[in-house]
Amino acid sequence: MRFSSVRTAAFVLGRELAITALLLAGVSLVVFAILFLAPGDPFSLLLEGQMGDDAVREALGVPTAWYAQYLSWVSNILRGNFGTSVHTGLPVLSEIIRVGINTLYLTLGALLITLVIAIPIALLSARMGNTSLTLPLTIAAYVISALPVFWLGYIAIYISTHRFGAFPIVVGSSGTQGLNMTAFLLPIVVLGVGNGTISEVVRYLREEMGRVFAEEYIRTAKAKGGSVWRHSVREGFIVPITQIIATKIPFVLGGAVVVEQVFNWPGMGRMAWQAAQTRDYPLIMGITIIAAVIVRMGSLLQRVVHFMVNPAAAGD
Amino acid sequence: MKRYTQRSSVVVEFSDLPFWKKADRRDLFYLGFGLLVLTMVLVSYALGSLEWLPYDPQEIDLDMLMAPPGTEGHLLGTDFMGRDILSRLVLGTQAYFLPGLLSITIALTLGSLVGVLSGYWGAGFDTAATYLGNLLDSFPRLVFILLVVAAFKPDIYYIMVVVGITNVPVVSLLIRDKILSLKQKTFIEAAKALGLRNRTIIFRHILWHNCRSTLIIQATLGMAEAILIESSLSYLGFGVQEPTPSWGNMVQAGSNYFMQGQFWSSTAPALAILVTIMGFHLLGDGLNYILEGKRS
Repeated sequence: MRFSSVRTAAFVLGRELAITALLLAGVSLVVFAILFLAPGDPFSLLLEGQMGDDAVREALGVPTAWYAQYLSWVSNILRGNFGTSVHTGLPVLSEIIRVGINTLYLTLGALLITLVIAIPIALLSARMGNTSLTLPLTIAAYVISALPVFWLGYIAIYISTHRFGAFPIVVGSSGTQGLNMTAFLLPIVVLGVGNGTISEVVRYLREEMGRVFAEEYIRTAKAKGGSVWRHSVREGFIVPITQIIATKIPFVLGGAVVVEQVFNWPGMGRMAWQAAQTRDYPLIMGITIIAAVIVRMGSLLQRVVHFMVNPAAAGD
Repeated sequence: MKRYTQRSSVVVEFSDLPFWKKADRRDLFYLGFGLLVLTMVLVSYALGSLEWLPYDPQEIDLDMLMAPPGTEGHLLGTDFMGRDILSRLVLGTQAYFLPGLLSITIALTLGSLVGVLSGYWGAGFDTAATYLGNLLDSFPRLVFILLVVAAFKPDIYYIMVVVGITNVPVVSLLIRDKILSLKQKTFIEAAKALGLRNRTIIFRHILWHNCRSTLIIQATLGMAEAILIESSLSYLGFGVQEPTPSWGNMVQAGSNYFMQGQFWSSTAPALAILVTIMGFHLLGDGLNYILEGKRS
């Protein structure tokens, strides 16, 4: 019994790791293909723009065939060498890590805000059904989901500068230590409210919670006088909430691009914007790959949590 | 008299009712609002194409800078260069409408194709489709688009091709699930037993009779997303460039004035984005209940 459950866990973990690895391999292929097809041969650009000629490439030991280029590129990435930024000349990976921590604060905080808003609404309407209160809440959720996040940012900046005298634009990119609290919290709140996913999160959580509340074991628990919360928390809360977090990570990361631009937040999104402006291939490539790795890690973590909560359901 | 009793004794099933009788007031409100927005977008697009605008949207009028809405002649006021905001908003639909349609077309055709392949022909395709879907979902969409922008400097149509492709998994998953549920009802088996060709079954019986509403709903959501992506991109400076108006670059252009307390020239396009995206969401959800019987 004990042995078999350990074996199942190892099997599930192994399978999820294998899937993640396969997907990341696919990610690297897609990114490589885009850059390979890009005009102006970005890979020559990395070599000071002198390498258009195949003979010169060969003489310098630079691979010419696409698969050889891909393999050498991937093996560099696996060793942590993402190349150097064309624009600043600094190594890409350390640049991304330097600003990535700011994006981590921003996105994790924003996800938290989204959940803090969405969970009570979802819970309320899952427990009470369609009451007179749910209609205004639903409409509010629609309005919030359609709000352009940059305009929401302007309103937030205007109000905080003119009412509270705090200027929430991060100046310079020396990290987060010099910031005041408004400058730190405002972008997080704006992204949390305005990432366009709140109504979807509410809807998903409400459906899942409603489904669990209608299960027979909840009815039995009620009949026995047991705690509904205790019986519903795993399937009705932990699983759907981790699921929706994992699904929404890419959306919040995408939203971070805009919000970081509005607030001049020194993060990965702003760096991606600059890289696209200056066509800094190694940088935007690195950012895309790191973002995809973050998304896949979130999804992997969700599968593990799901397995721990309900091994039977996650096993297959 | 006899006719009357006969008629009243007929049991009308819920699913046989015409859709407007199944809908409750809320669904009709959603649908009405959505259709109103859709009409406004279509009319604006047509007016913009015909150049039937109250003012030349690029005409600079230095005597009329930052006029508030309701000013004589300028219904929605003017921006910081004295250009008529209403005309610019109407012309701004040009920035996303056709590109949006392109992205929808790609998402729906490729999505149906992949969905039919994986639902109808079975396991091998299904695994491949799931893999590709997860692969596309691994990229934050805006980051991926910035990568494409950096590599190709594409115009908005190429970007919308990318957006359409990233929407393929959503559509194909819906189609696949629909086909699997149809298979459980032995519906497809029966059609095959009747000797219908695969082509007839797939196009007429699966896609047309059973997936039509799903596809329409996905089209409305696809347009909402196209607007969001286009306005974000032109806000970031990668889409339509000044002086050609797009709602995103209009918000951007008004930003300095916004911070000085002159809200309108940023707010008008922002409200246009808000109302239009909301309209397409409501249209999709209203249709979802009315056509599919699913309460959202």
